[in-house]
Amino acid sequence: MVNLTIDDKQVTAPKNSTIYDAARINGIKIPILCHDKKLKPFGACRMCLVEVEQMRGRQVPACTTPITEGMIIRTSTPDIIKARKMVLELLLLNHPIDCPVCDKGGDCDLQNLTYEYKVNANRFSDEKFHHAIDYSNPLIERDMNRCVLCGKCARICDEIVSFGALTFISRGIETKIGCEFEGSLNCEFCGSCVSVCPVGSLLARPFKFKARFWALTNQKSVCGYCGTGCNLTLGVKDNKVLTTVYDENQGFHNGQLCCRGRFGYQFINSDKRLTTPLVRKNGTLTEASWDEALELVAARLKGAGSSAAALATPRLTNEELVLFKRLMETAGSANYDHSAGYAHAALTEGFAKSFGAAASPATILDIQKSDLLLVIKTDSYETHPVIGFEINMAVKNKGVKLNILSDKRGKLSKLPDAQTLVHTPGSEVAVINALAKTILDDKLAAGTAAAIPGYADLEKALAGFTPEAVAGQSGLSSDAIKRLARDYAAAEKALILFPIGNAYPGHNADLASAVANLALLTGKLGTEGSGVLCMAEKNNSQGAVDMGFYATRGLNAGQIMDGCASGAVKTLFVAGENPVVSYPNRAAISAALDKVEFLVVSDLFMTETAAMADVVLPACSFAEKEGTFTSVDRRVQHIKPAIGKIGQSRTDFEIFGQLIAKLGGQAPATPATVFGEIAASTPGYAGMSYASLGETGAFAQVAVTAAFVVPRTVAVEPAAGKLALVTGSALYHNGTQSQFGEGPMYVCPEGYVELSRTDAARLKIQENDLLNVASAIGSTKLKARITPRMPEGVLFSPYHFGAAGVNQVWGGAPVTWVTVTK
Amino acid sequence: MNPITPIINGLRITLEHLFKKPVTLQYPAERPKVAQRFRGLHALNVSHDKAKCVACYLCPTVCPAKCITVEAGEDANHDKYAARYEIDLLRCIFCGYCVEACPVDAVKMTGEFELANYHRSDFVYDKERLLEKK
Ligand code: SF4
Ligand code: SF4
Ligand code: SF4
Ligand code: SF4
Ligand code: SF4
Ligand code: FES
Repeated sequence: MVNLTIDDKQVTAPKNSTIYDAARINGIKIPILCHDKKLKPFGACRMCLVEVEQMRGRQVPACTTPITEGMIIRTSTPDIIKARKMVLELLLLNHPIDCPVCDKGGDCDLQNLTYEYKVNANRFSDEKFHHAIDYSNPLIERDMNRCVLCGKCARICDEIVSFGALTFISRGIETKIGCEFEGSLNCEFCGSCVSVCPVGSLLARPFKFKARFWALTNQKSVCGYCGTGCNLTLGVKDNKVLTTVYDENQGFHNGQLCCRGRFGYQFINSDKRLTTPLVRKNGTLTEASWDEALELVAARLKGAGSSAAALATPRLTNEELVLFKRLMETAGSANYDHSAGYAHAALTEGFAKSFGAAASPATILDIQKSDLLLVIKTDSYETHPVIGFEINMAVKNKGVKLNILSDKRGKLSKLPDAQTLVHTPGSEVAVINALAKTILDDKLAAGTAAAIPGYADLEKALAGFTPEAVAGQSGLSSDAIKRLARDYAAAEKALILFPIGNAYPGHNADLASAVANLALLTGKLGTEGSGVLCMAEKNNSQGAVDMGFYATRGLNAGQIMDGCASGAVKTLFVAGENPVVSYPNRAAISAALDKVEFLVVSDLFMTETAAMADVVLPACSFAEKEGTFTSVDRRVQHIKPAIGKIGQSRTDFEIFGQLIAKLGGQAPATPATVFGEIAASTPGYAGMSYASLGETGAFAQVAVTAAFVVPRTVAVEPAAGKLALVTGSALYHNGTQSQFGEGPMYVCPEGYVELSRTDAARLKIQENDLLNVASAIGSTKLKARITPRMPEGVLFSPYHFGAAGVNQVWGGAPVTWVTVTK
Repeated sequence: MNPITPIINGLRITLEHLFKKPVTLQYPAERPKVAQRFRGLHALNVSHDKAKCVACYLCPTVCPAKCITVEAGEDANHDKYAARYEIDLLRCIFCGYCVEACPVDAVKMTGEFELANYHRSDFVYDKERLLEKK
């Protein structure tokens, strides 16, 4: 700690603080314009000038000046106020005074400072700028006439987002912020730049002119897309979610969001939302009363036993999942699963065996505390972008080493000194086994490893996985495998991250075990900055696993579908899931859903699956309900309703509760009651209550009982003349719901297939050509995207789009062999 | 005082008034001239054939009766305009704060005071009805 005097007050502050930090910690306010706590000090605006006695009373910027012992600082002498006034006058020289039409009015740092410092007139005069305004994209408007050149946008895009879309161009009086070649903005549209811009230069167009900042009611919530569990503030007016409001103090991510979180909220108030229950009469879905619809469903479920089955989206709250399970049990059925359970087999089978717990024994906070990150299977940036920001900051600010093992390159591969090993699709488990083998052979295993059950078996099973043997099969060099193994073993703290989800099928449980083996072998588990983080796809995937909403005694998702087709399952209740689009092999799924006698779907929208249903129940979005979500690292967070329910929609909690009552069961009154039960009965959740979760949530504990498990490997045989299709997530989308968010749909409106330049040249394919992609089970037409990140012979296609029909081609194998024709 | 005097005085005043111009206004045949600063029905000022209002939302913000509804729209030039401007006169207390608040002199209050109507809905003045008639 350093002692210093600020405004005649004796204060202390940690060393490495700047004057600004020291003042802030001690409750002294220094005005800033270009400074942001997330970004490196910059010192461009001079708003934060203070006087330091030791510097002979010179005025220095507080935000870039480090403190020293005994410093005597004054923050608001008449001279300083005069200087700050002048800074504002100079800024206002070129800044247009168009506050009445500027969307930032009311939330503008320049406006607030001008008011605070009573800058009522300007001693100087100059011409205003006449830069053309960039309206070229539907998400971000850039009006550089209002820019105060604080550089925050360019810095956040570079330092945190790592896209680098914006930069200072020209010099001197001509300086402005621009895109490459002064073109229009074409980036990943995360909106980070918009969130930090202190003036109205960068604006979110979906919110443009909708309301004034002060007219919004802010409701804190948790993002309803991916499992990162980002906190978010919804800006609400007239029962509509109009925007997401940036709050730099929110969450571990300090208010950072990705494109889906920031711009994907429109689905909440979409006019496509279902508003009344629908019942199929004479072949068409017709509006019905809740009573009628629920009676019908209850009559089918009553005593249905194993002829009933349920599928849920892991977007439901923990409480809803518990209730859904109870509903099925009341009906006498144990057939329930979430998101094609296989997607989460990594947790429920892999980790359950290796760690004795179906959860990750590491947290997102470990990323920045680690020495080495190993990202496996795919670019986790696409699946969990804000975790990607964390990785980026760890690499850039903390010098954390980054290794990636994937079947294609991604954005993470572009980070400084990132080592990417691109293996042939489907060979990841073999490669990880080879890493383990190297660790064993080189005697790099931790002393504790030999005592873990299964050690001898693993040692034996790995015999065939020498780096040399795996090199041939995976397309990697044995040296690369050895180097990676040694790097990993040598790092004091190392964290493995791997995303899982609906479109990453194949060998999830085995991949998890293989990964777990690595961590166990090297003893990199259970300490800060080390461990394994399995990143499940949806906002409450981990919750669904924790609540046990997967097949343990009954049928799993795949078997339920088979049951529908064979007639064993007569009633299927699908809550929020859209299997027709998100499950592999669309033809089989559609046939199964066609076959099932009675299909109930509760959803927000008339999805492809809902359109096939006998009863459709309008459900509520996350913004309309109360409950808890559990993030990938088991942070349990409480959400409260931000708006009233849309139309006649009801929460799934109410729907399940009312059905339980109709079946003669006892339905709990409120989500809080159910959460109480969860806290009492779920391992790791003990002692939690809504009150104890507070605003930041609480981590559910993971108790690890380690064991080595030999992962199965399936050799993926290359098929002559065919290309390997891998499926996955696009950065802008998550599941099928983001298709109803206008923001993500502006950036990425339709399915596509990515291929390498070499393949494109060989097959004479141009960008945007419509390709016919055919596999053994079917075919579809997809637009071509030629990208340098794809290795030769490998195609990638995101699975979210109903119209693209990727699951007509893809049947759930880790690699699908396809032919591509124009 | 002589008890008769007040009666005579009274009769004199009555008599005087018989020959004076009456002070009552023969409304509606005769119409009053309201003061310049009288606060009657609002009007939206027009400039270049358009409402001057830039939909800054300041008047609905200051309005103590919360009777103004503004919804901004984006025109073809990406400029902001009031796609909807509505005052619920049944709630308005004619304080004139809206006029004070307007940064672009887009709203004013006219001398119009005949605001009676038969239906509640007729008291909601939308943009069309408020636009200053030239
Ligand atoms: S939206 Fe995101 S990626 Fe695009 S310029 Fe802004 S910060 Fe960069
Ligand atoms: S656009 Fe905004 S954030 Fe970027 S430099 Fe200008 S004022 Fe700063
Ligand atoms: S989609 Fe995921 S990463 Fe993006 S804001 Fe939401 S929770 Fe965060
Ligand atoms: S006169 Fe007063 S009450 Fe009436 S609309 Fe204006 S601000 Fe509101
Ligand atoms: S204050 Fe003036 S410009 Fe602003 S909304 Fe009201 S009338 Fe329009
Ligand atoms: S805030 Fe310190 S120079 Fe801008």
